[in-house]
Amino acid sequence: MRKSLFVLVAFLAIAGSAFSQDFVVSNGGEPSTLDPALMQDTVSNTFYLALFEGLVQYDPRTSKGIPAMAQSWETSADGLTVTFHLRDAKWSDGTPVTAQDFVYGWLRTLKPETASAYAYMIGMVVKGADAYNAGKGKAEDVGIKAVDSKTFQVQLLGPAPYFVDMTAHSAFAPAPKWAIEKYGDQWTKPSNIVVNGAYILKEWKAQDYILVTKNDKYWDAKNVKLRTIKYLASDNLSTNYKMFKAGAVDWMANGIDLNMIDEILLRKDYQSSAQFATYYLNLNNQRAPFNDVRVRRAFAAAIDKKTLVEKVLKGGQIPTDEFSPPMAGYTPQLGQGYDPATAKKLLAEAGYPDGKGFPTLTYVYNTSTGHKVIAEYVQQQLKTNLNVDIVLQNMEFKTLIELRNKHDFTIARDGWVGDYLDPNTMLELFITDSGNNSGDHRNPAFDKLMEDARMAKGDARMKMLEQAEKILLKDDQAIIPLYHYVNQDMIDTSKWGGWFANPIGYHPPKFIYKK
Amino acid sequence: MSRYIIRRFLSLIPTIFIIITLSFFLIRFAPGGPFSSEKNVPEQVLQNLMRKYHMDEPMWRQYLRYMGDVLRGDLGPSFRYRDNTVNELIGQSLPNSMLLGTIALLLASLVGIGVGIISALKQNHWQDYTVMSIAVVGISVPLFVIGPVLQLVFAMKLHWLPLSGWINSRDGFRTLIMPALTLSFPYFAYIARLSRASLLEILRSDYVRTARAKGLAEPTVIWKHVLKGGLLPVVSYLGPAFSGIITGSIVIESVFAIPGVGRIFVQSALNRDYTLIMGEVIVYSMILVLMNFVVDIVYGFLDPRISYN
Amino acid sequence: MSRKIEKAVNEFNQQMKPVSLWADAWKRLRRNKMALISLWVVGFYALVAVTAPLFSFLDYRTQVIEHANLPPSLRPAGELVIEKLEARHALIKERVDEGMDSLKPEMERIEADIQKAKDELDTNPVNKKVYIFGTDSLGRDMLSKTIYGARISMMVGLVGTLTAVFVGILIGAISGYIGGWLDNLLMRFVDIMYGLPYMLIVIILMAMFRKEGQSSIVILFVGIALVSWLTIARVVRGQIISLKNSEFVEAARSMGASTGRIIFRHLLPNTIGVIIVFTSLSLPSFIMNESFLSFLGIGVSAPLSSWGSLVSEGANTMELYPWQLLAPAIEMTVFLFFMNFLGDGLRDALDPQSKNRT
Repeated sequence: MRKSLFVLVAFLAIAGSAFSQDFVVSNGGEPSTLDPALMQDTVSNTFYLALFEGLVQYDPRTSKGIPAMAQSWETSADGLTVTFHLRDAKWSDGTPVTAQDFVYGWLRTLKPETASAYAYMIGMVVKGADAYNAGKGKAEDVGIKAVDSKTFQVQLLGPAPYFVDMTAHSAFAPAPKWAIEKYGDQWTKPSNIVVNGAYILKEWKAQDYILVTKNDKYWDAKNVKLRTIKYLASDNLSTNYKMFKAGAVDWMANGIDLNMIDEILLRKDYQSSAQFATYYLNLNNQRAPFNDVRVRRAFAAAIDKKTLVEKVLKGGQIPTDEFSPPMAGYTPQLGQGYDPATAKKLLAEAGYPDGKGFPTLTYVYNTSTGHKVIAEYVQQQLKTNLNVDIVLQNMEFKTLIELRNKHDFTIARDGWVGDYLDPNTMLELFITDSGNNSGDHRNPAFDKLMEDARMAKGDARMKMLEQAEKILLKDDQAIIPLYHYVNQDMIDTSKWGGWFANPIGYHPPKFIYKK
Repeated sequence: MSRYIIRRFLSLIPTIFIIITLSFFLIRFAPGGPFSSEKNVPEQVLQNLMRKYHMDEPMWRQYLRYMGDVLRGDLGPSFRYRDNTVNELIGQSLPNSMLLGTIALLLASLVGIGVGIISALKQNHWQDYTVMSIAVVGISVPLFVIGPVLQLVFAMKLHWLPLSGWINSRDGFRTLIMPALTLSFPYFAYIARLSRASLLEILRSDYVRTARAKGLAEPTVIWKHVLKGGLLPVVSYLGPAFSGIITGSIVIESVFAIPGVGRIFVQSALNRDYTLIMGEVIVYSMILVLMNFVVDIVYGFLDPRISYN
Repeated sequence: MSRKIEKAVNEFNQQMKPVSLWADAWKRLRRNKMALISLWVVGFYALVAVTAPLFSFLDYRTQVIEHANLPPSLRPAGELVIEKLEARHALIKERVDEGMDSLKPEMERIEADIQKAKDELDTNPVNKKVYIFGTDSLGRDMLSKTIYGARISMMVGLVGTLTAVFVGILIGAISGYIGGWLDNLLMRFVDIMYGLPYMLIVIILMAMFRKEGQSSIVILFVGIALVSWLTIARVVRGQIISLKNSEFVEAARSMGASTGRIIFRHLLPNTIGVIIVFTSLSLPSFIMNESFLSFLGIGVSAPLSSWGSLVSEGANTMELYPWQLLAPAIEMTVFLFFMNFLGDGLRDALDPQSKNRT
C-alpha cells in the first residue's frame, strides 16, 4: 500500500514537471496560412518559427542569423557567392533535409503560380530570381544550386551584407517536395504536414487555437524544453489580457491592451523594446500647400512629439525626428524638430502669417483608438502653434490604403516596420514611384544615392544611406516622423527563460523554457 | 393555401439569385482589393496573385465562373486564409454560431414571452414597471458593455465561470453560459416589450371581449384567443432575428473568444476577402429568406383572420 | 368619419363625441403621469442639446493634457491633478523599491510634474476648472463631450425613426393590404436589402462621397435611413394582413371607402400600438448603428463624437476610468428609458379602442 502510494506520488511529480513545460500563447489572431512560402503576417510567422527552420535562425537576443539548417557558410571574396553547408537534420517523417529541399522551397516561393507576396525578398538579392517570379525568366537561371545534398550555393545580385540574416525569413524556407506534391493545397493540414522545425502541428481548430508538440526528430531536440505550445486565436486584446492576468495565458504576443497601459506599466511581466519601425505622417508632397517645403517644415516644427509619447501614449515609444532607427554603423539624420517659434516663422514665409488664408486640410487615419488620439493631439498642436485648422477623418484600413496608393490625400497617418535590420528597408520607401511612396516624394539625388548604395559595401554604403536620409528629412522634410514603435509583450521572464525583448520581435520557441 | 406556399417558395430562388449577383459586383466596387495591404507587394507579385485567383479575367467571366462553382456547391478558396476553402471556413464556424444563437434565442423567447404576458396582464402594476424597466436597460446597454462586465464579475472576481473560449474538455458547456446570456439579453428585451404591446392590443379587441362575454374561463381565453393573435408581431420579429442571431454576433464572439462565423463575417468584409464574403452572403441570405418564408406560413396558421388568396 | 363604422370598432353602448384624434390623444396623454414626466425629461434633453453651442464653457475640444483621466468631482482640477500624481507616484515608488528600475525615469518625471502642478496651482487659471463628469485621456471635459454627443445621437435617432415610420409604414401597409404580386415584390425587395452586405454598401458610400475638409453628416443619415425601415415594414405588413379581413374593414369597404382611406383611417390606427413600441425599441439600435458607421468613417469627425462612440470607447477603459463609460452610458440610458415610457404613453393615448372612453 505504502509502496503504491509512493509510486503514485512519484508519478504525479513526474507528470507535474512534464506538464509545466506547457506554454500558452495568446497569438492575436488566426494565421492566414501555415505554408512558409505564402506567409506575410506576423500571426502566421509565429508558426514558421515553431514548425520550420531555414538556413539560419533568429538569435533570440539580437535577431541576427545564427546557424540552423546550415552549420556554416562562407562568402566569396567579391561577396557575390555564398555557400552554405547543411547539418545532418531530418524532416518530421524521417527524410533527411537536403540542399535540394532548399532549391525546391526557394523556387516554389518564386514560382509565379504560387503567388507568394514575399517572393520579392528573394528577388531583391538572388540572381535571376526576380525575372523568374515575373514570368520573364526560367527556373534554371535562378542563381541557386545544390552542389551536393549537403551543400547549397547562392549567386547574389550585389554584395548584400544582410543576405545571410535575411534567410531566416519564411520566404527562404526549405519545402518537402513529396508532401506538397502528394497533398497539394491540403499539405498544411495537421494530418499531412511535414516539418523540419522544433515542433510538429498537432491540432488546428480554426479561429480557436493551434496546438503544437515537441518534434522528436528535430536535430536539436535534446535542447528543446517546451513539451506543448497552444496558440490561441482570439484577437480581442482586452479578453486576452484578462486571460493573461488570470494565468490562463503565458505570453501575449502580437499586441497588448493599450487601454490598460496605466495598469500594465506597473507590471513586472510587461516587456517593451525598441522596434525597428517608425510611426509617421505622410504629407502629399505634390499637392498644395505641401508642395512647399516650408509648409512641411512648419508642420514638423509645430508638433511636440515628446509630450505625445510621454503623456498620451505612455507605452515607452521613442519620440523621433528621424525615420530609420539608429543601429550599429549608422547615424540617423534628423529632420525639423519641435520649435513653435520656427514653425510660425516658416508658415509666415510660406505666405500664411498666423495661419491666415491657410486651407482646411483633412488628416486621414484608419479607425482605432490609438490613431485617433494621435490625430486629435496633432490637430490641437497645429491649432495652438500655427493657428491652423484641420479636419480629421477616420476610415477602415483598406480604404485608407487605397487613398494612400492613389496619393489621394493631404495628410495621412502611416507606419513602417523594417523587414530586416538595415536602413535600406526603411529608406527605399521614398524612391520616386516606389510602390509604398504614398507621399509621392520625388528627388533624383535621393534616388541616385539609394541606387548606388545597392552596389556598395561596408562603411561607404552606410554613408550613402545617411546622405539619403539627410536629403529626405533635412532638405525635403518629405514626411513627419513621430516616434519609433516598441514591441510590447506580456510575459513573466522570471518564470519563462529563453525569451528576450529584441528589435525585430521574433521569438523562436525552441529557446523558451520554464525556469 | 398549398398553392400559395409553393408560389411563395419559388419566389425565394430569384431573391437569392439577385442578392448574390448584386453582392458580387458590389464587393468589387469597394475601394481596395483583397491583396492591398500596409506593405504593398510589387506589381509582378500582384499580377501573380490576380492570375491565380482569376481576377485578371473580365468581370462577366469571373461572375459566370463563380456562379458555376456555386451551383456545384463550391464557394471557392479564401483569399485571406490561403490554406482553407470558404466551404471549410464556414463549415467549421457556422455550427458554433448556430448552437450559441439557438440557445440564446430560445432563452430569450421563453423568458421574453412569459414576462410579456405577465406584464400585459398586470398592466401598470409594479410587476409591469419592473420588467419593462429591465427590458429598456437590456435594449439600451450594448453587448460590448454587458459582456466584459459579466466577465469581470463572474470570471475574474467570483471565479464561477470560465472567462472565454469554446466548449472544451476542461470547462465543458460552462463556457457557453455567459455568451448565451449576454447574447439573449437584447432579444429578450425586444420580445418582452413586443409581446406585451401586442397582447394589450388583443386583450382589448372585440373578439376577446366576445369570448369573455360568452363566459369562457380566463385561462382558456388567454390560451386560445389572446396568445394566438397576440404573438404575431413577435413571430414577425423572430424571422430576421433568428437569421441574425445564428449567423453570429461579432461582439459576443470577439469578447468571449468564440470560433464563430460572425467574427469572420466582419473580418472578411474588412479584408475584402471576396469569396469569403460571398459565401457568407449566400448562407445568410438563404437562412433569412427561408426564415421569412416560414414566418409568413406560420402567420397563416396562427391567425384565423388571414386568408391567402 | 362615418359613425356606423366607428360603431363597429367601439363598444356597443358608447356615446360618440366628434373630437379629433389628436386633440383627444393629447388630452389623454396629459392625464398619464409617467408619460408627462417623460415628456419633460425628453424636452429637457432636446433643449440642452439644441442650446449647447450658446454656452462657451461647454468646450468638447480643448485638451489640457495635464488633466487627463480625472474622475468626476466638484473640486477644482488643479487639486485633483496633484492627488492623482501623488497616488501614481506612490504606486510607482513601490515598484521601483521592489527593483523595477525601468520605472525610474517615469518616477522622476512624475516628481517634476508634481512640483510643476503645485507651483501652478494658483497661478494657472486652467487649474480652476471643474469637471463634474470627469475628463478623457486627452484631458477634455466629459460633460461637454456627452452633451455634444447627445446632439448627434438624438439627431440620428430622429432620422432613423422618421424614415422607419414613414417608409416602413407605407411599404408595409401597401404590401399587406394590396397583397398579391405587389406584396411579393415589395417583400422580396426587403429581403434583398436585408441580404446585401450592409457594411460594404457603407464603405462604398463613404468612398464615393468623401470630400476634403468636410465631414459627411448627410451620408450618415442616408446610411441610417437605408436599413432602418426594413423590420418595421415587415411587422406592419403582418398586422395589416391580419386586420384586413376583420368586420370593420369589410364594413368600410362595403361603404365604398377608398383604399387609402381604409389603410390610413381604419387599419393603421389599429396597428399604432405595435408601431410605436417597435419604433421605441429600434431607437437604441439606430443610435448604436451610428457608432458602427462612424467606425467605417461615415458621420461626424473627431473630436466630435456621438453617445454611441463615447460608450464604445468608454467600454475599453471601464476598468481604469469607469466614468468615461458611465457618463455617456447613463445619459443615454436615461434618455432611452424616458423615450420608451413616452412611447407607451403615446400608444395608450392614440389607441383607437380607448377613444372617448373616460
